[in-house]
Amino acid sequence: MSKNVSINVEHVTRVEGHGNIVLNVKEGRVEKVEWQVSEAPRFFEAMLRGRNYWELQPITSRICGICSIGHSLASLKATEDAFGVEVSEQTYALRHLAVNAENMQSHILHIGYLAAPDLFGVGSVFPLAKSEHKDVLLKIIRLHRLANEMSDLVCGRTTHPLTLVVGGFTKTPSEKQLMELRKRLVEERNTTWEVAEAIKKVADRLPDFSRETEYIALSSNKEYALYDGVVTSTDTGEHQDYRSYRDVLQEYVVPQSTAKYTKHNRESYMVGALARFNINSKQLSSNALDVADLFELKPICFNPFMNTVAQLVEFMHNIDDSINWIDQLLDRGVREEKPVDFKVKEGRGVGLVEVPRGLLVHDYTFDEEGRCVKANCVIPTNQNHGNIQKDMEAFVPGLLDKPEKEIELNLEMLVRAYDPCISCSTHYLKVEFVR
Amino acid sequence: MSKPRVAFFDFASCEGCELQVANLEEEVLDLIEIVDVVSFREVMKEHSDDYEIAFVEGSIMRPMDEERLKKIRSNAKVLVAFGACATIGGVNKIRNQWQPDEVLKEVYGDADLEGNEFFDVFKTKAVDEVVKVDYYIYGCPPPREEIKKVITSLVMGKKPDIPNYPVCVECKKNENVCLFELGKFCLGPITRAGCNAICPSNGRACDGCRGILSEPDTRCVEDILERYGLTYDELKHRFTMFNYGREEEK
Amino acid sequence: MKKSLSKQDFLRFLDNLISDDTLDVFGVKAKGKRFVFAPLESSSELRLDYDVTILPPKKFFLPQYETLLKFDVSRNSVSHKLDGKTRVVVGVHPYDIVALQQMDKVYFNSYVDRFYKQRRENTIIIGSDILNVSDRSFAASMGTHVVSSGYDLLVTDLGDTVVVDVGSEKGRVLLEKHTSELRDVSEKEVKRVEELRAALPGKYKRSLKVEKERWREVLGNSYDHPLWKELSEKCLQCSSCTMVCPTCYCFDVKDEVSLNTVDGVRVRTWDGCLLPDFSKVASGEVFRKEKSERFRHRFYRKGLYLPERYGFVACVGCGRCAIACLPDIADPLDVINSLVERKSEAEGVLRFSIPESKAAAEETDYLPRNAVIKRMEKLTEMETLFELEMEDGEPLVYEPGQFVEVSVFGVGEAPISISSPPQKSSSFELVVRRAGNVTSRLHSMRVGDRVGIRGPFGRGFDVKALEGRNLIFVAGGIGMVPMRSLICYVLDDKKREDYGMVTVLYGSKTPQDVLFMDEIKEWEKKSDVTVKLTVDTCPEGVCWDGCVGLVTSLFPQVRWKDVENTVAVVVGPPVMYKFVIKCLHTMGVRDENIYVSLERRMKCGVGKCGHCQINGVYVCKEGPVFNYSEIKDLPEAFS
Repeated sequence: MSKNVSINVEHVTRVEGHGNIVLNVKEGRVEKVEWQVSEAPRFFEAMLRGRNYWELQPITSRICGICSIGHSLASLKATEDAFGVEVSEQTYALRHLAVNAENMQSHILHIGYLAAPDLFGVGSVFPLAKSEHKDVLLKIIRLHRLANEMSDLVCGRTTHPLTLVVGGFTKTPSEKQLMELRKRLVEERNTTWEVAEAIKKVADRLPDFSRETEYIALSSNKEYALYDGVVTSTDTGEHQDYRSYRDVLQEYVVPQSTAKYTKHNRESYMVGALARFNINSKQLSSNALDVADLFELKPICFNPFMNTVAQLVEFMHNIDDSINWIDQLLDRGVREEKPVDFKVKEGRGVGLVEVPRGLLVHDYTFDEEGRCVKANCVIPTNQNHGNIQKDMEAFVPGLLDKPEKEIELNLEMLVRAYDPCISCSTHYLKVEFVR
Repeated sequence: MSKPRVAFFDFASCEGCELQVANLEEEVLDLIEIVDVVSFREVMKEHSDDYEIAFVEGSIMRPMDEERLKKIRSNAKVLVAFGACATIGGVNKIRNQWQPDEVLKEVYGDADLEGNEFFDVFKTKAVDEVVKVDYYIYGCPPPREEIKKVITSLVMGKKPDIPNYPVCVECKKNENVCLFELGKFCLGPITRAGCNAICPSNGRACDGCRGILSEPDTRCVEDILERYGLTYDELKHRFTMFNYGREEEK
Repeated sequence: MKKSLSKQDFLRFLDNLISDDTLDVFGVKAKGKRFVFAPLESSSELRLDYDVTILPPKKFFLPQYETLLKFDVSRNSVSHKLDGKTRVVVGVHPYDIVALQQMDKVYFNSYVDRFYKQRRENTIIIGSDILNVSDRSFAASMGTHVVSSGYDLLVTDLGDTVVVDVGSEKGRVLLEKHTSELRDVSEKEVKRVEELRAALPGKYKRSLKVEKERWREVLGNSYDHPLWKELSEKCLQCSSCTMVCPTCYCFDVKDEVSLNTVDGVRVRTWDGCLLPDFSKVASGEVFRKEKSERFRHRFYRKGLYLPERYGFVACVGCGRCAIACLPDIADPLDVINSLVERKSEAEGVLRFSIPESKAAAEETDYLPRNAVIKRMEKLTEMETLFELEMEDGEPLVYEPGQFVEVSVFGVGEAPISISSPPQKSSSFELVVRRAGNVTSRLHSMRVGDRVGIRGPFGRGFDVKALEGRNLIFVAGGIGMVPMRSLICYVLDDKKREDYGMVTVLYGSKTPQDVLFMDEIKEWEKKSDVTVKLTVDTCPEGVCWDGCVGLVTSLFPQVRWKDVENTVAVVVGPPVMYKFVIKCLHTMGVRDENIYVSLERRMKCGVGKCGHCQINGVYVCKEGPVFNYSEIKDLPEAFS
């Protein structure tokens, strides 16, 4: 069919940050298909120059409003790695709660507020409030509130956490509060399942599109890896040396984007919930696997649209995992602990954490007074930009017989499926400071 | 009475302020009862340029952003600067210590960016350095209570009551141990309250994200520094996280 | 009655209290290296060895944030009901008990505060003798290190045993209900308690150089002492000193509305006189502008104003302010001692007495009565007249010169002068100038809308004292509003013969700003009334047959007779008084024959919140109408 298509979506909606989609088709021939990142670059490298080690967490937290806990944890882990700080068991457990809480908050935000409107055929969640789906919306809000209140309890605040500091916590939740949280988590398993069932009813709207690609995520022999683990690829397996993460996550610059792109074994790879599911699904809780079964999600799944489903699976896992950590904390007894003592020293430290959108790396070098002289962050969304571009290129030919509006919607849905966090990806940290 | 038409916009920021709107949870349903949200890119596909109240998050970094902001100003009857990046520049101003071309070169190296408007960057500006701002919602992130207060005030046609006193007032009401006693340099005594002293209440020194109310007298600062063994350079450094460039402007 | 318990039995007694579901038990607990009053979960948490808590127990009776009432924006307000559960507060030190007794005098004095009263009645105070003295405390100098009343129980922890002094019936019942191990106190134990108390003063490192009875004298002679400026230059104006003070009870009141813009609550919260907005009124005027004035005010309130009013020095020497103040300038001991040491530099005498006012016996819960707008009349661009009618049909009984607190639920309350003469019907008139949120909102309301009314408050014009006198009314701008109430009263046919000649001098900004022009024309027609009008400026093209100039320029135009028997009533903007009073003096009118009505931030209307203070005088209570001689020596009255 010979056809002309010209799509120029400036500022894709219902994603975090500013990105554009450009598609030009002339007489059936695709001339240009481009995923552009137009977000203003924010130069976080300059923000960190000469900063004291204890300022890195509050500053890098501001890279992203959605995954500020993830940035904080990666930041603290990198700093602790540089100074050789070993945190207490209690801190380790509480940080697991923090990472779970944020994963839940971000995932339910994406599933419910950003992705679901496409499935329900509306422009935003607002109309759902006055539709037959109000009940689902209220359940989504309930889960969102649960995740936020859990973050508030553990981190002091959900956006830009307060209690997370190098070596531990400035404030510890009480046993009573943890017991109340546990009760809530148990109750909301049901709500999660109900939301999953409601999404399942409209899941046939998720396009059936697959493209073989590489998936990268942390993995661990102890657990479904989020807080720590080994960099693992579906193509090349485990990469033990975390400090040489750059061998795997290779960054490069493209002109249509203020965010850098990355590649590894192929021309692109994907990180995030689907990547984690593809690599670590065996370690999911049985409730989470039930959610996966509901959607017939099995590893390896090459359909990027199933990322949203993988998030839902993870949400259930996060609830179960949090309950486990709370039980461990309560068994041992919760104490008001001060952050552990440590000495600052010259050197480099790397922190890797699985955040909602995938693998996040913070890499700092300090001088002898604990001031940052060099910093690098590799952001999950940066790692996905290349894969979005490649998916788009593969997806477009199959869409050309559809009306322009529908092509546009499909491409937007593709971008949204990755749940990109564009503010994050344009933070730009990789720089060596020359003094 | 028809509902006011409200739009949310974001510039260079982490979009955490807008997220705070979603974080109103069930009350979001109340919100859409009292206002018509006509544009909110982060959560909705629909967009309209016909609005009365514009909430603007983020700092202004590029001519293309400045142009977009001016258009928003001309469309809106009331413009609200939303969050630290918009009200005072926030962390985005840290880079103003250096020239834009210097940071660009540091970040992008030798990449050829000539004529690429995405990369045409000037020194970070707060929103009121570009257009007139009617009301301010302070904080990084702004407290949900304050967001609600400003929205209800605008809907009810009253001036929002934003605290004009320092964080210490709220911190004392929360009965926290003063962070100076713990050897931490807290900006609470000179920072605008309204956050319910959330940082000190969580054991963390105030970073001044809601803006400095008034700079203390030098003699006073010297006395405090001496009493708690802190240095003047440290004070100046503390200002640079959210309030960089404040000294030059005032 | 004194009893004793072994330490173990005492702790068991506490645990029994804690496990009693009818009680909420609070006690002193550690918070980091400091101490706080907080809910007790176990007797083992109690720290009777504490030196001082961060906040005083004031928070149990005047909480940091407290709901006064709930409202529905368009309809009604209802008083907030406390749950009434009995609270036990364990470990209150003597100085804090003294502070509570002082607060009782304030909150039980005319217009008894119902919330405070209920909280006091619902709370059992278990005091504790001081075991460790705070570094910054000077309680011994203030005589507040020991106490012999004001508690329900007072415990002295002697280590192995605890002596319990029963101070009230409530205390006795509580004690006997929750322990059966009470022993009669032994002579030895009594002696040990006495020794412990006797040894206390020696533990204080700091002492006053002048006894507290003489603070009034020291402060009375130091109003312009250079110390105030020296210290206040270092002040951060953070108001931490007032927040942690057991005798600072000033508060602000705010309306909080839910996101549905329909329902909400009116909340009372602590305020501090060090904060720049403390004395700010809706028009933007700040009555204590300088940092040094605010800084000084705090000490005068403690050492001169409240002693004059209630007979106690409003400082108990706990030292909390000294700990909280970062530049360390808030310590009353340091300040008083400095004033004593630097007596030679003393300047500025402040002498005053508190004008008499009617004490209101009733309780208040700050709940307004509903009134309906019957009529609205736009008088000028800025001012609109509202005729209101009380919804319950009960008349509003008031005197000319009094004011009411007008509530617009969801926006707040504002003090407004009544402009109609007293009448027996349930309706009355207000003239409202658009200035702040409340008044702006009133202007946008419509006939039939509801507002809330509290009051009338304050002292109006003494119409009896004016009888038989010639009267000069001098009004500037909106000052005509309360004055109109009085003029109408005097000119009323039934009253007219009680008063002599009437002269009205009235200055406005422009002819368009003249209030009640039609009525003024009626007054002019009367043979026994002289009316002179003036405006600051008359825009071109506006018809005006009065004078142009300040209101003082009207004085030479009148031929004054029988000045000895003349009383002047002056109401206008702050800047006007000085000049008008000078004219009156030139005429020969004596101070005692001049009445003024003053504007301040009357927030509560019942002499509690502290915002409307002119030095030691409350405008809401002793004012707004004053005899000039009562306040002429108050530096803050006409500055």
